[in-house]
Amino acid sequence: MKIVASFKVSPETQDIQTRPDRSLNLERAQWKVGTYDLNAIEAARQLADEVGGTVVGLSAGGSALENAKLTKDALSRGLDELVTVVDENLVGSESYQTASVLAESLTEIGDVDLVLVGAGSSDEYTQQVGNHLGQILGWPTLNAIETIEAEGDHLKVERVLEDGVQVIEVQLPAVLSLTSGANTPRIAGMKDILAAGKKPVTSVAAGVLPSPTATPVSQLAPEQVDRRQIILEGVDAAAELAIHLKAL
Amino acid sequence: MDFALNDEQQLFVENFRELMERENWEPYFAECDKTHTYPERWVKALCELGFDQIMLPEEHGGLDLGLVTLMSVYEELGRLGGPTYILYQLPCFDTILREGTQEQINKIMAYVGTGKQIWNSACTEPGAGSDVGSLQTTYTRKNGKIYLNGHKTFITSSAKVPFLVVMARDSENYDTFTEFFLDMSLPGIKIEPLEKLGLRMDSCSDVYLDNVELDESDIFGTEGNGFRRGIGDFDLERFLVGASDYSSALCAFEDAAKYANVRVQFGKTIGRFQLNQLKFAEMAIKLKAMKYMLYEAAWSFDQGEMTSAQAAMCKYYGANASAAVVDAAMQVMAGVAVAGDHRIQRIWRDLRVDRVSGGTDEMMILTLAKGVLREYAA
Repeated sequence: MKIVASFKVSPETQDIQTRPDRSLNLERAQWKVGTYDLNAIEAARQLADEVGGTVVGLSAGGSALENAKLTKDALSRGLDELVTVVDENLVGSESYQTASVLAESLTEIGDVDLVLVGAGSSDEYTQQVGNHLGQILGWPTLNAIETIEAEGDHLKVERVLEDGVQVIEVQLPAVLSLTSGANTPRIAGMKDILAAGKKPVTSVAAGVLPSPTATPVSQLAPEQVDRRQIILEGVDAAAELAIHLKAL
Repeated sequence: MDFALNDEQQLFVENFRELMERENWEPYFAECDKTHTYPERWVKALCELGFDQIMLPEEHGGLDLGLVTLMSVYEELGRLGGPTYILYQLPCFDTILREGTQEQINKIMAYVGTGKQIWNSACTEPGAGSDVGSLQTTYTRKNGKIYLNGHKTFITSSAKVPFLVVMARDSENYDTFTEFFLDMSLPGIKIEPLEKLGLRMDSCSDVYLDNVELDESDIFGTEGNGFRRGIGDFDLERFLVGASDYSSALCAFEDAAKYANVRVQFGKTIGRFQLNQLKFAEMAIKLKAMKYMLYEAAWSFDQGEMTSAQAAMCKYYGANASAAVVDAAMQVMAGVAVAGDHRIQRIWRDLRVDRVSGGTDEMMILTLAKGVLREYAA
């Protein structure tokens, strides 16, 4: 089975600083594989180890993807090889644009049986790319996947819903978005890190991006307000809290 | 001069950090310290990432990455509160691989990756501390067997290790010092654990040897070479003590610095008071001096050039400068540090032990001064 684990490289959340004008300062932020995307890599590795096959990492983004340490980090987490699409137009691209680029890259990779994506990216967390990608490819597409089990030529997956668990048999090829609780991503061992530098990394061109559907006006951190320092006690605390919250 | 760690080394450090941050290890360490328990779960987790393979040669399944890499991992583990002093056996397989018989090597290698305590050497006796040559433990040959008799004391890890390398002198020829690879499950060995001020996650015991029956194949290294074997290997262990002390001082320093930035007295954070600023300036200087002394020694080691004087310098300065840093950190944190169960208390106790164990400050000074003066001898 040829499994593609798609991931987005994002600035490390704890490194992001807010300027006095509430704009975000990413200058000191280290770029990392998205936290939730690690679930996709882990699930792909586990499935490939179980049924046999290869795991191809796929990421579209800006020049951060050209950082050798970052690609080694991604490869060390369980990928057999990595395909990157580097184009500065992909920094801050809309999820449909990203999905279009990924879909094109999948054609170049060829013979893909399954695409796994995380619950959402670490920065925008739109949770859209998996669905867009499946729609563009015309493949069965499901999100909120908690477990994946191989059954002959198809997969049996579980989706976590608000009031139950949905069990679905999915024909391949398919696109699946995982929950963040689907697994605990491994911490790469030292041997895996050393091996990562020897794995193949292929760069493919982004091609022409579809036009964006919207134009971002601004991106600001929430306004900070001073603590009100209101302490509620006693049996009516919950009701009083509701009044305070409504008044906000 | 390039001080930067390469991509791989940076990723090693980041991944050990991830391991430390995935759970709050502090209650586990506190409990292990309180109950004199070896933190096997933590060490096993480190070994799963390959910690015990860092210094192990490739032909034995290791990664052979060198002491600079080990230093960078020690630094991060200690900074995040890990008791690195417990790890000293894992970078020191070289002694076994160089001196051991194939059978002895196999016994030790079977423990790689398990996180368990494996072995230590035992020299110290009630009458032989720094003056190792005064030891009274003897071995006697009789009817094709060797019998070991004596009393070892303050033997680190001895309550838990499956093997101990014991130094003894030939009862027939008192000037012959030989080491033996002792299986601790043999009859005639009695262990009496001792209470200890610090380094409490590791055991420290009296070891009584009463006619312990051994074979010729249990000799470790070459008969009569006991003294010379130990001296070279001490250097790496001494370096590791310095590395461990520095990294735990870094932990205490960071705790104190974060505290000084938020603790408000007289209307401002206590870090803004000049008496505290002097402490932070002094702490930062000592940490920087230790860091680069250790990294340079590690680099020398990797070139095959670390001297005994360098190792002694790392241990002597590391133990004392760290003690000063942690003491100052404790002063900054005041009540929070001395009351309750803050980890600074544990670090403070641990560091005091390191000025005594693994070679006293006084012995480090002797080795260090001798090495320094020799460079200028006519």
